[in-house]
Amino acid sequence: MALWDKEQKPWLHGAITVLLGFFILWIMILTPRLHFFLVDGVNTLLYYPEKPSMQLRNVVKYSSNWVLERATLNERVDQLELKNQALLEALQRAQVPVPEPKETFTPAQVTLRYAEAWWREIRVDKGARHGVVEGAAVTSDGHLAGRVSRVGDNYCWVELITSASFLMASAVDETRDLGVVNGDDMGNLQLLFIPEDRELKRGMTVSTSLMSELIPPGIPIGSILATEGTKDGFLQIRLSAGAHLTQLYSVEIFTGRRVQ
Amino acid sequence: MLFLLTLLWLLQDFIQVFVMGIFLVPDIFLLSLILLVVLRQEHKDRQIILIWIAFFGGLFWDFRWTNLPGLTAAFNGGAVAAVAYFWYKAPVQGRTTILFAFYAVMAQALSGVLHYVFWNVESQVAIRQFLVQQLMSVPVLVILCLIFWRSSNSHV
Repeated sequence: MALWDKEQKPWLHGAITVLLGFFILWIMILTPRLHFFLVDGVNTLLYYPEKPSMQLRNVVKYSSNWVLERATLNERVDQLELKNQALLEALQRAQVPVPEPKETFTPAQVTLRYAEAWWREIRVDKGARHGVVEGAAVTSDGHLAGRVSRVGDNYCWVELITSASFLMASAVDETRDLGVVNGDDMGNLQLLFIPEDRELKRGMTVSTSLMSELIPPGIPIGSILATEGTKDGFLQIRLSAGAHLTQLYSVEIFTGRRVQ
Repeated sequence: MLFLLTLLWLLQDFIQVFVMGIFLVPDIFLLSLILLVVLRQEHKDRQIILIWIAFFGGLFWDFRWTNLPGLTAAFNGGAVAAVAYFWYKAPVQGRTTILFAFYAVMAQALSGVLHYVFWNVESQVAIRQFLVQQLMSVPVLVILCLIFWRSSNSHV
């Protein structure tokens, strides 16, 4: 008590703050739910004050990339129109009625990306109030970027395809071989469980396979970068992600085809 | 003073929102606290207030931007207390702009290194963010040193 009573000692308060800080860190590691609750609380508190800064960032980003993105988007629209035309023709020949489009994608802005979890997860500004549900596919410029992992009212967390815990059923478009896409927390992607007798080549594209109502089949994931030998009877295939994951400022969340 | 520090915290936060994904913003809030603690805060109760402001500012920062809640808070509190302790232990003639610059540079560099070590990832993105943060802290340090220099000169 003598330390405390006789004189105010700033160094003592400094030592207390250090110990308290590490104690809080320990508590947060032990109770992830409390951690997320507080993180989301502070993020919600700052949502409106940060809005002008967020908008300014988007204005700068979109204005600087406008010409380049426009050319890329036009090219993609042309390709999709041709593909759509071919599919419609095939449906007509098979005399299958053309269904009405039901899916929708909700655009969302990235509000948080931890440096230490750079390839694992992001937080975006759309949540349950906007129709976002857990497990829904998240795309960036038409390519799969991840999957919704946790949902709040006005926000949600997205597990990126490069996360080590991310597993997604997928198919090689050219050969229809089925495999599983998996990340490694370091920005690399691999395609697992393709039998070693299959002949896959660099540049072949990989897209989502029918997995659930929340992840429609056919969303492009990326392309084959290299086949690096075999292991346990399966090819070791490296993929290049189609989504620009290093510069992820905005995404689209699949909000159609709800699970009843 | 609390209002000014709140504004500085928000300024750092808004800059981080603006440059999110490109680099980590320098610790404007912590460096400003170090400036305040060395500028005529000889009363120990005021130093203690600044230490706790540093702690809670760091804790809020952790909940907003880092995945390690408590780490920035612990570092901020410890850094402000350490600077206050060593600054006022030094003789008055030795409390120069160079000494202030040394403490500020050390605080910024150690804060960056501590976070980088705790990230525990070897990603190139993490290295880039850390290095750019250190580079971007140079203009902030220069401005704070100028403020210190002017302020200490005007009270000679």
